[in-house]
Order: sequence, then C-alpha cells, then structure tokens
Amino acid sequence: MKPKPHAGPPRWAAWLLSRWSNPDAREELQGDMLEMYAYWLESLGKPAADRKYALAAIRLLRPLARPTHATGYSETHSFSPAMIQNYFKIAFRNLLKSKTFSAINVFGLALGMACSLMIMLWIRDERAVDAFHTNKDQLYRIYMREYFSGKVQGVIWTPGVLAEELKKSVPEIEMTTPFSWTIQQTFSVGNKIHKQATNWASGDFFKMFSYKLLQGTAEGALRDRGNIAISRKMAEAFFGSPEAAMGKAIRFDNRKEMTVSAVFENIGASSSLQFDCLMTWDAYVDDNGWAKDWRNTDPLTFFKLRKDADPAKVEAKMLHLLDKTNRDEGKPYKTQLAMQPFHEYYLNSNIKDAKMDGGRIEYVQLFSFVAVFILLIACINFMNLATARSSRRAKEVGVRKVVGAMRSMLAGQFMGEALLIAMLSAMLAVLLVALLLPAFNSLTSKQMVIPWSEPSFWGVIAGLLAVTGLLAGSYPAFFLSSLNPVRILKGALKFDSSSVWVRQGLVVFQFGLSVILIVGMIIIYRQVGFVQNKNLGFDRENLVYFPIEGELFNKFDILKEQLTQIPGVKQVSHMTATPASNGNGTDGITWPGGDPNGQVRFTPVGIGYDFTKTMNLKIADGRDFSKEFPTDSSGVIVNETAVKVMGLKEPVGREVNWGKTKVRIIGVLKDFHFQSLHTAIRPLIAYLGARQPQGSVVIRIQAGKTPETLAAMERICKKLNPAVPFTYAFTDQEYARQYQSEQIVGKLAGYFAFLAIFISCLGLFGLAAFTAEQRTKEIGVRKVLGASVAGIVGLLSKDFLKLVVMAFVLASPVAWYIMKRWLQGFAYQIDIEWWMFALAGVIAVLIAIFTISFQSIKAAMMDPVRSLRSE
Amino acid sequence: MKRTFLGELEEVVLLTVAVLAEEAYAVTVAQELDQKTGRAVGFSTVHTTLQRLEEKGYLSSEMGGATAERGGRRKRFFRVTAFGRKALREAKEARETLWNAMSPQTLQLMSN
Repeated sequence: MKPKPHAGPPRWAAWLLSRWSNPDAREELQGDMLEMYAYWLESLGKPAADRKYALAAIRLLRPLARPTHATGYSETHSFSPAMIQNYFKIAFRNLLKSKTFSAINVFGLALGMACSLMIMLWIRDERAVDAFHTNKDQLYRIYMREYFSGKVQGVIWTPGVLAEELKKSVPEIEMTTPFSWTIQQTFSVGNKIHKQATNWASGDFFKMFSYKLLQGTAEGALRDRGNIAISRKMAEAFFGSPEAAMGKAIRFDNRKEMTVSAVFENIGASSSLQFDCLMTWDAYVDDNGWAKDWRNTDPLTFFKLRKDADPAKVEAKMLHLLDKTNRDEGKPYKTQLAMQPFHEYYLNSNIKDAKMDGGRIEYVQLFSFVAVFILLIACINFMNLATARSSRRAKEVGVRKVVGAMRSMLAGQFMGEALLIAMLSAMLAVLLVALLLPAFNSLTSKQMVIPWSEPSFWGVIAGLLAVTGLLAGSYPAFFLSSLNPVRILKGALKFDSSSVWVRQGLVVFQFGLSVILIVGMIIIYRQVGFVQNKNLGFDRENLVYFPIEGELFNKFDILKEQLTQIPGVKQVSHMTATPASNGNGTDGITWPGGDPNGQVRFTPVGIGYDFTKTMNLKIADGRDFSKEFPTDSSGVIVNETAVKVMGLKEPVGREVNWGKTKVRIIGVLKDFHFQSLHTAIRPLIAYLGARQPQGSVVIRIQAGKTPETLAAMERICKKLNPAVPFTYAFTDQEYARQYQSEQIVGKLAGYFAFLAIFISCLGLFGLAAFTAEQRTKEIGVRKVLGASVAGIVGLLSKDFLKLVVMAFVLASPVAWYIMKRWLQGFAYQIDIEWWMFALAGVIAVLIAIFTISFQSIKAAMMDPVRSLRSE
Repeated sequence: MKRTFLGELEEVVLLTVAVLAEEAYAVTVAQELDQKTGRAVGFSTVHTTLQRLEEKGYLSSEMGGATAERGGRRKRFFRVTAFGRKALREAKEARETLWNAMSPQTLQLMSN
C-alpha cells in the first residue's frame, strides 16, 4: 500500500506529529499513522482520511497525549503538563506576593490598552464615513485648479452646469450630480411648519449613492422638477409615517408646491453628506438663474464612473473640459478639472496648492501616534518594574538553571508571564472601554458602540494583547534569562551598569513622550483659544442674524423700520451671506493696469445700507454706501487685501470691471475675517444689494438686553412672515462652531496627556517604592548617624529627577517640531513660546516629585531600629 | 499482589493483541478493532491504550525491523505478557461466574 505522491496526509498535521509528539514513541507513531492514513484513504476516502489523520495527530501531541514511562528519564521539555502547571503556579504566586506592583502593572497596561482601543474605535468610526456606498470605488468628486501668473489655486465649488456637461463629454462617466450647500429651508403642510436641511441634486443622485429608500424608487425619486425626496424624520413630522407621505404635496418656502416622490431612511453619522430633503437641480436653477452660467461656481459635483473605466484616463480627459466653455472667456487664466475619490473626501478635505492635502486624516494619524505612545509608556512600566524587581526572581532563575532549564525555556516562561498579565489587563481594558464609551461619545459627539460581534474587533484585541505581552515581556525575559546561576546563588545579585542604563533610558523615554503630549496639549489649547478670541476686524459679540425668507423678501423695508424701533436694537442691515462664514467666489474682476495674467478670485458680498456700522467695520479710505448718492448702485467697497492684490495706489474713485459692467470703488474697508481662520483673508468686493435683499438680516443688539430684544424681534417676524418659523443665530457662537473639531482634539489631547503622565507616574511610583525598599538598610544607617528626613528625601528623589529633567531636555525639540507642523494648518497661528515648554517641564517635574515623595518620605520617616534590627 | 483491574476498552485491546499474536502493533490492532467489533475507536485512543497496558505490565513491546512502506520507520510490536494473560483469564472467569449465577428464567430472556 503505497500512498500516491499527491495523496499524502495533511502536511501541517504530519509536521505537528514529527515535531511535537512524544519523543519516546515518535518513530513508530509516524509509521503507524502513515499506515492508518492509507487504510482510511481506502475505506473512507480522502476528506475523511485527512480529517481523521489531523484529529489523531492533534490528540497525540504532547500536552494532550498521555505521558508515558513515568520511570526512566526522557528528553527534558518545557511543555510537559507538570512544568506548565508549575509556570502558572509560580506566576500567580508572584502576582499575589507583591500586590502593589502587580496592581500597577495590570492597571497601567489596562489603561494603556483601553486608551488604544478607544482611539482605534474612533479611527474606525472616522474611516467608516462614506464607506457604506456600494459604488464607493466608482464615485468621485470634482474640484478645480485655477492657474494664474504662475500660481495655482484649488476650488471645490464648481459651475452648476458642469454635471450635465461631464456626462455628455466623457463617455466613461455614467452618472453625475451637482450637490449644493445644505441650507435650512421652511416647509409647510397645512398648519405644520418646520425648517429642514435642504439640498438639490440631479436624478442620478439616489442611483449613485446608497441611501436607503423606504418609499419610491431610485429612478423616480428626483425625476420631475416638482419632486421632493424627504427623510423618514421629515415624513413623520409632516405626515405621520413614510407610507402616508408618498405622493402628498408639501409647500416649500411658502411659494412652491412640491410632491413627495420618495422617502429615505434618516441619514446617519456615517455619511458626510447631510440633508433632510432633496429637490431636483432643475428646481434649483429655476430659482437661481445664475447657476446656468459657467462663470459662476456654486455646487459640489460628484460623478460615478463605469466599472471598467480607467480613472487616470478620465482625469486626463476632463482636464481641459472647461476650455470649450465660456468660463475663462476673456480672462487670462486657465481652469482645469481634477477629481478625488468620494470616500476620501471626508478625511482629506483640505486643498493646498491645488492638491488635496490632508484634513481630518491628520487627526487620525495624530491619534494613532498617541495610541502607540500611551501603549508604549505602559509597556515600559512593565519592563522597568519587572527588571528592577528581578533580584526577587533571581534565585528562582538560578535554581531553574541548575536543574537544567535552558535559556530559551526561561525566556519562554517570563514571556508567558507577561502575556498572562497582558491578558488580565486586556480584560480590564475591555471593561473600561465599555464603561467609558458613553463619556467618550459625548466628548467626540459620535455614536460609537463596541462591535462585540465583529471578529476583527477580537482580532484587534488579540493583536493588542500579543503585541503588549511580547513588547513588555521581551526585555525582562531577555534580562532574567541571561543571569549567571553561579553568581546569583553565591550571593546577592549585583546589577551591572548596562541594565541600570537601559532602565534609566526607558524612564527618560517614557517621560519624554509625556512631555511631548503635555506641550502638545498646551499649544492646541492656546491655538484654539487664540482662534476664538482673535480680533476678527469686526465685533462678533451681540451680533444676531437670521435668514431673509418668505414674505420678508418683499417686506424688508417695513421689517427694518420695525426692528429699528425695538429699544435693544442698535443697527439693522443685511448681507448675501452670513457674518460668520462667506465662502463665495467670483472670477470676473479685472482692472485697468492689472496684470492680464494675474487673475484673482474675489469674494463678492451684497450688503445693505448701514452694514459697516452694524458689523463695526472700520473704513480705511473713502466712505460707506449712502442713500444720498444714487450712483452708489454701481459703486463697490473693497477690503485692504483687494487693494493690495490690485496694486492700486489711489483706490477710491477707480473703476474696475466686474464681468462686462464697470463699477467704481467708493470705499476701502480695513481687513476683517469673513471666513474661519484656517484660511487667509481673501480680497472682498462688496456691492449694494439694497434692491433685492437676500441672505441674512444682520442686527447689532445692545448687550444685556438680549432676551427681550430677541422676543420683540420674533414678534415682528411672526407678524410679517407668518408662514416661516423664526430662527436666529449669534455670530460668535456660529463662529466658534467652525472650530468644533479643534476643540474636540484639544480636549482629547488634554485627556490623553493626562493619562500618559498618569501611567508614567504609576511606573515611577513603582520604581521609587522599589528603590526605597532596596535601600532600607542604607537609610537606616544614615538616620542612625544623624541624617535628616529632608536629606534622605532629597537623596532618594535626586536620581529620578535627573531622569525627568533629561527627558524634558530631549523631548522639547521633538515637541517643537511636531507642533510647528500642526500649526501650519492654520493661516493665523500663535507663536510657540519658551514658557510653554517651561510649563510642561514644571508640570512633569512637579508630578514626578509628588509621586516619588510618597515613597521617599515614607522611607525616610521609618524607624531605623526596625530596618536594622534583623542584622 | 496488586489487584488486577482491566477497563473494558483495555480488555478488548488486550484480547485483540492476543488474537493477532505475532502481528500485533498499533495499526493492526486499530484495524482489527474497526473490522471485528465495528466500534469507532480513534487511532490515538488505541495508541494510548497500548501504552497504558504496557505501563501496567500486561503487554511487552519490542521494535521490529525497518520496513520501506512506512518511510523506513520501525514498528513497535506488542506481545501479551504472562501477567496480561492472567488478567484476561481473570476477567473471563469473573464474567462466567456472573453468567452462571443467573437464574434459568433470566437466561431464557437473554437468549431471545
């Protein structure tokens, strides 16, 4: 019976058998098993034979199979059940013998792991955004690159007509949609009136993106310009249920009747596009005729490629697509199109030099580093305590070596112990995460849950456990197993200087990481504070605004008059954007004498009379719009940046071209921030929008009278505009909202810095306790000879403080470099000052002193009689 | 003398070794058990039982010559020792004593 060449038993099982079966019976076993395999193969077939062979092989492995030959010597092996039992017994006895150290180890590691797990959950959540779309690999977003006079600028907003054109001119593009800026709009059914987050998209939208439709079909959802697709929440608010909503009429902005054509499931946090209802892009164009013009930019544009399309080719094809339109007509610069995979857009949303360059991904990376740092700090604790306390285990190592343990076995034993502790810590860590997750969720405003049922989660935990165990156990295992039995057993163990060096190096490293985190925390905190309190060039306190909508549009003059009569209102005006954020752009500004290649994007804003007074803007030159000058309708006010860009010496009175019309500069405003501080101030051009007030009403109110003023404002709006609920916003609050992610990051950095220093101190505490214990006799003798308590505390603390100071010196440049890079994400940044480092150093040293002093004072206060009497 | 005690599986394995006489090693025992008694005994079980029986002194073993079909590995042949034969005999006698102690009616029932 010869087994066929390819019909042998499973190789791994044969290998197991040859490697791990009982050495005394190995030879005949392997032979027997081969014969049995042939027998099984014949009687049962290959799969069953393989199964039986593997099963038998596993059951014949040493720890499972019965130990034979109790008498007689067999080969030594460290996996016999008796030895394994012994390892566990010794490990548990050691854990219980020194409860403080075990607690420090387990708790420190658990905290480190919990931190890492939490950060991993956060990263997982961040990465999951927009990953749920079935077509996600085919979805892209367009952005534009504008080249002018050797410079290039990236713009994410695109012409509204681009979506249709893309589909026509690039055959690989299957579907496209514009997607505007989500804004709150008023809807009503009967006497139910609500504001909803509204957007507009093409009929392809629901076919491209995987938003779940409860009613209606992806094809029919946005077919007609009278259609509206609404969320479950909106359907329930207006009609009671999604089923009842289908086909019903809903009034939009109190002027258009829309028909509900689809109901989609509420949009979760895992989508970067957020909206309560969608209408067709055609409907948008009906209301906003200018969106038909290539020269204007407004919506984002998304598209879906065919499955077999090559993205690189598509990108090459669309590069010069805009050349044949009139977008760059008569203008000396070129606009090119570029694309970015849609699911990358959430994490990589910053544009720098017309390339997508980071964004939230930087925080994801930052926190990945923090997670690794903290875990490392916890591992170092373990390594340090284990080696420092190795004198306790040295005798054990000596005896084991004398009776024949080999170095690898001892290393295995200590690794195993580290893994055991890591396992205890991992259990504690999972528990901690489960307890702290709600708090973490409210801090990061996410809805994360522990994915208990996901194998990958347990994989991560197992990986974490293995990495921590191996990392933490490696040095102690290496160190302890290297001890020389003769020297250990002859007398007291003396550490050679190298192990002390390693230990001190580790403490320095640990505190270095902590110092970096503290410096980081201080700088992030200061930057966020700086941004929030920076002088914006206008007074953002007590500045209320609300949208001009519904009837207010026509009744603006009455509104303004009535509002001005409220005692708490100082000034009333209006603008075509909101005071906190204005991201509009226009290309059409040219001026005589300007460089024909030096095209600049201006931010246009239509403002009402008294706008500068309401905002508390300073006029640098010229004058504000005034009713006394009827020619002001063709006048504009620019900001200082615009003057600088245009290079005008005497700006007031100069004529510039805006598209094909000529406008005259009547005034210059001092620069103010109309966008977040992530971006530099752009050239601004303000025109008189008195004829068609739209956008927001801006009102300066008196400090201290806010509630009654707001109530009065609401009364007036209700009367003038009964169909629309009154909503308002405070500029300072809206402004702060733009820095939400920085605030969260600042807070998180604070917590993690605290944790890092806490875990480091746990380790320091353990080391100090150990040193104090080792030097008990020395302290006793010193006290008998007249040393003071302060002297002894100083003696014990000095060594550790040296390490902390050294850590500080080494870590500061690193921290400086890292934070410098972080700050570059802001157009307006704080300077990194010396005191930030000094503060971090002082914090680290103080906390270290506090930690050590516990132990050193205890040791110094001890009665010398007790420490010396045993000899 | 230590009281001899054979477990049921041990007894069957020991008997099989006796049946196979000169040809008894783990593979033949396992196959014989499989074919004659039809009970599903794993190979590893047979192997450990043989080892246990040897430890208890019921079996003795020696390594045979190398054979080519097993990759040149030798076989370990088992032989029932005198002590093993005694144990088998005692087990058989113990059963017979019990059978003989049955009343005729019960015996009648058994044969149906």
